[in-house]
Amino acid sequence: MTWLFPLYLLGSLAILGPILMHLRRRPPQDRVEFSSLMFLEAKTPMPVSRRRVEDWLLLLLRCLVLLLLAIMFARPLWLAKSEAAVASNQATILLLDRSASMQRGDLWKEAIAAATRHLEQSAMTDRVAVATFDRQLEWLWSFDQDNTSTSTRGELLKTKLRELKPGWAATDLGQALVQAVDELASASGLKGWKKQVMLLSDLQEGANMEALRGRVWPENIAVKVVRLQVPTADNFTLSLAPKLDEEQPSLSTRGVPDHESGRAFYRVRVSNSRESQTSDFQLAWESGGEASTTGYVPPGASRVLSLAGTAGTLKLTGDAWDFDNRLYIAPAQPRVMKIVFIGDEKTRDEAASPLYYLSRALQPTSSLRPELTVVPETAEKWPADADLVFLSGARPGSALGKKLRAWIEQGGFVISVIGDATAAQDLEALTGVSASSWNLGASASSGSTEDYRMLANVQSSHPLLRPFADERLRDFTKLRFWKHRKLSLPKEAALEVLARFDQGDPAILAGKVGQGRVVLLTSGWHPEDSQLALSTKFVPLLFGWLEAAGFGHESASPLTVGDLLPVATATSLVTPEGQTHFLQLGDTFRAKLPGLYRLGKDHSIAVNLAPEEGRVSPMDLGKLRELGVRVEEGGADAAASVKVEDQEQLAISEQEARQRAWLWLLGALLSIVAMETWLASRRRPSQPQPKFVTA
Amino acid sequence: MSPTLDLQALARIRSLEWRAKSIMEGLWRGLHRSPYHGFSVEFSEYRSYVQGDDPRYIDWKVLARSDRTFIKKFEDETNLRCQLVVDHSRSMSFGSGPLTKADYAATLAATMALFFMQQGDAVGITTFGQTLLEHIPARNRPGHLRRLLLELEKPAPAGGTSLDLSVQLLADLLRKRGLICLISDLLAPVEKLERQLALLGAMGHDVVLFHVMDRAEIDFRFDKAAHFRDAETGMERFIDPASAREVYLNRLNVHRDLIRRACERQGIDYRWTPTDMPMEQVLFEFLSNRTRQKGGPAPR
Repeated sequence: MTWLFPLYLLGSLAILGPILMHLRRRPPQDRVEFSSLMFLEAKTPMPVSRRRVEDWLLLLLRCLVLLLLAIMFARPLWLAKSEAAVASNQATILLLDRSASMQRGDLWKEAIAAATRHLEQSAMTDRVAVATFDRQLEWLWSFDQDNTSTSTRGELLKTKLRELKPGWAATDLGQALVQAVDELASASGLKGWKKQVMLLSDLQEGANMEALRGRVWPENIAVKVVRLQVPTADNFTLSLAPKLDEEQPSLSTRGVPDHESGRAFYRVRVSNSRESQTSDFQLAWESGGEASTTGYVPPGASRVLSLAGTAGTLKLTGDAWDFDNRLYIAPAQPRVMKIVFIGDEKTRDEAASPLYYLSRALQPTSSLRPELTVVPETAEKWPADADLVFLSGARPGSALGKKLRAWIEQGGFVISVIGDATAAQDLEALTGVSASSWNLGASASSGSTEDYRMLANVQSSHPLLRPFADERLRDFTKLRFWKHRKLSLPKEAALEVLARFDQGDPAILAGKVGQGRVVLLTSGWHPEDSQLALSTKFVPLLFGWLEAAGFGHESASPLTVGDLLPVATATSLVTPEGQTHFLQLGDTFRAKLPGLYRLGKDHSIAVNLAPEEGRVSPMDLGKLRELGVRVEEGGADAAASVKVEDQEQLAISEQEARQRAWLWLLGALLSIVAMETWLASRRRPSQPQPKFVTA
Repeated sequence: MSPTLDLQALARIRSLEWRAKSIMEGLWRGLHRSPYHGFSVEFSEYRSYVQGDDPRYIDWKVLARSDRTFIKKFEDETNLRCQLVVDHSRSMSFGSGPLTKADYAATLAATMALFFMQQGDAVGITTFGQTLLEHIPARNRPGHLRRLLLELEKPAPAGGTSLDLSVQLLADLLRKRGLICLISDLLAPVEKLERQLALLGAMGHDVVLFHVMDRAEIDFRFDKAAHFRDAETGMERFIDPASAREVYLNRLNVHRDLIRRACERQGIDYRWTPTDMPMEQVLFEFLSNRTRQKGGPAPR
């Protein structure tokens, strides 16, 4: 038997009280009327104490009451054998958080120490599995391994744990818990065992718990949380803010293009944690080219700043924790797109020509740099690296036609306008559908600006017309067409009509030819045919085609640690540490460090810490409970301190709470008090004392 | 001597007169079964009228009833004069049982008064404390008994006992010889008492002393130490009964012996009367004793 609060046993000394009181003779307060004192001694000494105890039973009961009271407060418990048996049937998964936030202070050391301590305390009959998690769960020691090599478990795991270091990835706590629960549920030979997940984590509020939503937590699995804490929560987080639609004025006005100098405005977000004591920060480029910026963010708030600078590393100072204070920005690297226009180079500056509009519409963006090349109809040489070909009314020569056809078959993308001069043979050369099937008619020209056609039945769900999926851009009533070629769609052609004119003639056709694609327009964009080039629809339509050709102008989403790098075409990759990896086709590479990765020769990719990882304020355990996780009460309390004594005390108090011996003691105590009261009430008029009776 | 009325039941009878009558009833029943016949305090006998007697003393009532002539004067001469002297001091108000000593003494006195008056004797009452409180001379008249009972029912006033002074005063008041029944707890110094009692004896009185004491006073069986307060003086003293009992009992016995011996010496009938003793028994023994004495030499 042991005691939960042994100090209370000192209270049993209080039995001295009743013993002394029983020995002490109270100066009698009783008054007895007696007939005469003439036969009584003149002086009887007033006794103070008794030499012997009277009322032994009463004294015994009173002492017993006090003893029981002391014992009750000391909360006795029996460390039963069954308890040990239950403990031995325990399967535990140690979930060790190794996200970037664990780099703070001594968190990692404490986590390793707590894990080691648990391993030391667990019995040989216990089953233990160990896993680390950040964005992904990694098993360090599975139940299967534990089953086969229990005896060496302690030493092996200690070595493994010592070698571990916290990573740079974000925390996906939900996913880790779900996987741990699945493992506990599926592991063999654990039926009827006490199962628990021991979570060693800093439990930051930025942890992702989406995976727990819609998931029913099993009743028999408890999560014991050991919360690791750092003394200070002063932390700023630096992340890249999305660009606004209204771009900052380009710095290229100073004479140097953005994409060459790498100098631009960057929008960064600085967030301060809720419990932070500090609010001033400094931002500086590590290259040192620009002056540092100072700023102020109150605790719990965030602020977006526009900074001019050369791409590289932006560093924040002013807070306690350094792990999330660097932001890597890759220089703008627009992709070059080779666009070929078959026609006359001279018409580039003629306002009536299609090339005029095309060359002006294809402006470079931050991610895309279209280069327009004009190939004459008669040319024989075909530019090998063309990504997209435009054909507007021109009739390529036979040599060029063949090459063009071959290029399409291999996966090229051609956009062709069927003009006045276009013959059915040209279409046959382009699509492979025989010339007789086309029924190509003469241009249906209205001849006046009053009579015009409009687009109808626009299939905005088609990838080529995706820009018009937005309802705001789907108003084609102001887009007028004066002239178009009539044709009947050949049945054998794998073409579909993407848009028609309002009287039903096809306006835009598209289809696959071999591995490539062909888009046919029955009306051109130049003013002679339509208003298309001058309308707001032209540029979105054009960039939709560019995107369909594989050149999206939207910048890719920023990469964070743990993401797969886009290494599809690159042959080599240099990590921020300077290691070079040579890549085979089909290789994937997952970023493990934040920093600038170099793909190939000159392409840079910035990989940053996930912004959520910087939200290091402690998470309320209530959130876990709301998601249904059975967080053990004791475990949460013990999280404040990971001392062994506390954990032992916790185990004892849990055991005591189950046994509830104090309730029995209370019952016994009350019955003894009742006995004592009854006995005392009987003893009070112990002998009939003569009363004074008035005659 | 049975059946007797138990003291608890007696204490429940509030009226002193009824109390006395109920005791009397028991006493008579006992007497009828007793081997003693025709006893009285003084043997009374009606003398037949003989020629030469003064016809003034003829008992006309008896003559009317029985057609016989008896001399009335003779009756008067043979009757006893009994003076009941009852202690009314504060100490008499003590009692551990159903009756206090004062109750007991009053009941005893009332019963005796009833008994004597039924016998045709004259009865008077004298109460005393520090001094004589009330004195009703002995008479035998209709209504006299009620007056006596009224006097006996009076509560005991505060005050101590001055036995010798009271006896001395009494001796002055009682000129005619008769029976004096002194009922008291005698809780007072008794040095001068013998002399006063001897005085009464010398005056020709027949004196009976009923020494009334409570059982608690006789045994002193208190178990707890307490402040004991003297009922007469009001003085308080801390007493541990366990240690004080022996001395108390010794002293009490010495006191009793002193009184008893004094009575013996003076030819006084000393009757030890604890309050838990049935009253019929007290009276029966008293009367039996008197009858025996009648056969012997005259008590002087």
